[in-house]
Amino acid sequence: MTAQVTQPPATAAPPLLAVAGVDVVLGHGWRATQVLTGVGLDIWPGEIVGLVGETGSGKTTLARTIVGLVRPRQGRIMFAGTEISGLRGGARRRERRSGHVQLVFQDPLRSLDPDLTVAEIVGEGLAIRGGLDTRQISEKVDDALAKVGLEAALRDRAPGQISGGQRQRVSIARALAAGPRLLLCDEPVSALDASNRNYILRLLAGLRDSLNLPIVIISHDLSSLAGIADRVVVLYRGRIVEDGPVSQVFSAPRHPYTALLMASAPSVRSQGDGPLTVHHLRRTAADPPPPDGGTACVFAARCPFAIAACATQPPLTTVADRWTAACHRHREWGELASKRPRHP
Amino acid sequence: MTRVTRRTPGSSVLRLPSARIAVAILAVIVFLAIFGSTLAPQSPLAIDAGALYRGPSPHHLLGTDYLGRDVLSRLMAGTRLSVLTAFEAVGIGLVIGAPLGVATVFLGRWFDFSANRVADALMTLPSIFFAVAVTAALGNGLVQAMLPVGILLAPVFFRVSRAATLEFSRAQYVEAAELLGGSKLHVIRVHVLRKVLPTIAVTTATAAAGALLAVSFLTFLGIGVQPPTPTWGGVLSSDLDYLNLAPWAPFIPGALIAITVGALNALADAYRDRAGAGELHSPVTDPVIKTHSTLQALEAADDRQTAA
Amino acid sequence: MTGKPPRDEVLGLEDLHVTVHDGAATAVRGVSLSVAAGEIVGLVGESGSGKTLTCRAALGVLPPGCAVGHGTISFERQDVTDLSRRGWERLHGTGMGAVFQDPASYLNPNLTVGSQLAEVLRVKQRLPRREARRRGIDLLAAVGLHRPDWVFHQVPGELSGGMLQRVMIAIAISCEPRLLIADEATTALDVTIQAEIIELLRDLRDQRGLAVLFVSHDLAVIRELCDRVIVFYAGEIVESGPVGEIIERPRHPYTQALLRVASVGDFRRRELQVIPGQPPQVGADITGCRFAGRCPAAIEACRSGPVSLAPLSHAHQARCVRATDPALTAVPVTTAATTAAAEAAELAAR
Repeated sequence: MTAQVTQPPATAAPPLLAVAGVDVVLGHGWRATQVLTGVGLDIWPGEIVGLVGETGSGKTTLARTIVGLVRPRQGRIMFAGTEISGLRGGARRRERRSGHVQLVFQDPLRSLDPDLTVAEIVGEGLAIRGGLDTRQISEKVDDALAKVGLEAALRDRAPGQISGGQRQRVSIARALAAGPRLLLCDEPVSALDASNRNYILRLLAGLRDSLNLPIVIISHDLSSLAGIADRVVVLYRGRIVEDGPVSQVFSAPRHPYTALLMASAPSVRSQGDGPLTVHHLRRTAADPPPPDGGTACVFAARCPFAIAACATQPPLTTVADRWTAACHRHREWGELASKRPRHP
Repeated sequence: MTRVTRRTPGSSVLRLPSARIAVAILAVIVFLAIFGSTLAPQSPLAIDAGALYRGPSPHHLLGTDYLGRDVLSRLMAGTRLSVLTAFEAVGIGLVIGAPLGVATVFLGRWFDFSANRVADALMTLPSIFFAVAVTAALGNGLVQAMLPVGILLAPVFFRVSRAATLEFSRAQYVEAAELLGGSKLHVIRVHVLRKVLPTIAVTTATAAAGALLAVSFLTFLGIGVQPPTPTWGGVLSSDLDYLNLAPWAPFIPGALIAITVGALNALADAYRDRAGAGELHSPVTDPVIKTHSTLQALEAADDRQTAA
Repeated sequence: MTGKPPRDEVLGLEDLHVTVHDGAATAVRGVSLSVAAGEIVGLVGESGSGKTLTCRAALGVLPPGCAVGHGTISFERQDVTDLSRRGWERLHGTGMGAVFQDPASYLNPNLTVGSQLAEVLRVKQRLPRREARRRGIDLLAAVGLHRPDWVFHQVPGELSGGMLQRVMIAIAISCEPRLLIADEATTALDVTIQAEIIELLRDLRDQRGLAVLFVSHDLAVIRELCDRVIVFYAGEIVESGPVGEIIERPRHPYTQALLRVASVGDFRRRELQVIPGQPPQVGADITGCRFAGRCPAAIEACRSGPVSLAPLSHAHQARCVRATDPALTAVPVTTAATTAAAEAAELAAR
């Protein structure tokens, strides 16, 4: 099923993280559902990658697979040249204690132990790793808290006693204290209001700049990603449908789903100054029925531009330098869309 | 790492009036267990053939039994043995059951399956016959009699602590700790134990009540304590033998047992209400008020509370 | 708002105060607003600004410990402030419907959504079972669900978040209320679904003349849907007016700040703005403007005494002593940026 087209790397250096041909099935027996299909993703040092997609697209599962909370059925995950997807037991614990890959969970209220203090939470990784005395840990905790802009005065609070934005920063500080070389953030801003959202995103961008830390930000909000990401990867029903530089993808998306996501994003500017609205991109009753069946393009059922060729899943193909999309009609649909009526 | 005072369930439990009354009663019982035999107004063993089956009077505040012994003195002197043996049974159950219940969640499917089947088997044993069999084998005595009671309480502790651990072992912060390379022991020590302890404490109180009844019941059957050593159950049992002569008599030791058991249960309930998973883990359980502004209002209240 | 209410006012709040912590603090102070039939009014503000409590007061479902301290709530010109619990229950569904952020927590996971929808119809409208079922399926179709008869027989777990929110809207409008209160109803949804729900609410307004009170922390969503917007800050209305005017010419510095942090939707790389500082604590005692502590344009006069909500034009009001100051209003806010150095200092201080 996999049709991973190798991307020319940004630099001569190999990617820091290389996910290749990953299939993930969750559940057993008749409840088993394939959540990821043939997912390939490379992350280079110092870049911010936005991973977008709707609920159930598999973006969280991909992050959990990378950190080893979910075992892929197929494919492998390499970090800095060594495979980390097959590790088990003591070897896996050693790799985890190195703190190289850190995941910031979506909901800090659930991922921070309510009975621990902020200092205990942030220092947990260091305490587990051992080799540091209480004072050294305490210094490193203050250091991590400072990096996320939290005062040391908060260190004795419980997660329930600080605000939502502060909780999210504690969650990031816990990851930073481990000394990561790659940071994965699962919906770090979805529960926050606009000001706090921008604050966290700026914080992440600042971490990338100061530590050259590559960051994967999972989000369903394209507009806020546009502000800080270098690359955007669009996931739809467990497959990557588009992957490219943010400025190019957002100025002329090559997959109709990416375009639909963009057109759906609310904006304080008046509607209609964008080239395409949701009505250009939604199926209507007038459209010919899409091809169906197990091998059809995952987006065909919602795509107004689906044709007979879409009865087979298109592979990710290079559409420009460092830019791939999985659409049979990536050249034509844009023009077809602009001819569709603006309103239903 | 430093730790400031935070809302601990223990301190807030005492705000409930029911808990205060329960603690007061239990304090009296503990006092009696320590000093009861020395403070008893009369000898618990002194027979007075001239005053059988007497009702309460200034001389015998709670009356006399079938040998004319002072009931108040017998109950006071019997407190220590009754309470200690109940503790013994609960202690045995707690020590065997609770650690296994917590550990079994982390020891793999095979161990968990086997441990559960053993617990199932123990729970099907009829406790009285088991106790009779054990005392027959080890010789009659209250200490031996409470051993089987303790063993039979172990599956209760096992079940309860396993269920609580299972709930918390699936929490996301446990996943986060595993991602930091935390071992199973670390997860249990840091994340699970603190949350399971309130549940175990509640079970201990309930089990203590049960054990107290079991002691009384076993002495009532003549297993455990040899007459004339006074125990609560012993007093109750002898009173029941002469129900036709003094129908009011069993109510006195009965009420003492019931009050103690009730106090333990009330304390357990208060503790569960205050420290129950609901309060500690979601600030607002009512979905209707689970909103930004109320949450912030609550957080603000918490801030003030900690500042004060 | 203040002044005489419009002809077909559905919901009217007059000088509403809501106390929290059993009266220890006032979280909503002196809110007056009205929603007319066929009008969509947006309430916007940061977390804890009192917008949700205002809504809850209007619905008569204040959380425990909270109460209306002062002021009146009127529904279709009837004073309902002191309505009994039974009276509110009668009003819910038939007079006003409500939709909240997390639809799954308002539905019983073990019953089909159809039975829960039909139950409302049977209880509130006393429809016979068969008729309730038929109307239920019609309603599910009316909220844009495909295959409504299939959806009718599903339990909530089988449906996606967007579908559940449509079901909640169907339940909310089942007894043809005149007012729909939507509290962060689209916040948890995917953007594609959010766009669809916004269209649905707009259609319902157009077809049924429904009055909608729409609460969100995202000005961009408000911009897409609402006719009028009311900006909340620390329990007070700080600005209100027609949505276009507020977006184009915001007069209160807080509204200007909200606009700077909102999604612009041009997908271009830009400096992400934040609003410096934290809102005051609920119940904080502040003389003068409650935003002054975070306001870049605050002057002496802001802190000296209470600032009232003053009309700026026909429908536009702002609570700011410098609302008509040309130095402030001249700045085109969507491109305005506080100096980078000040922002960096703020970032470090937070």
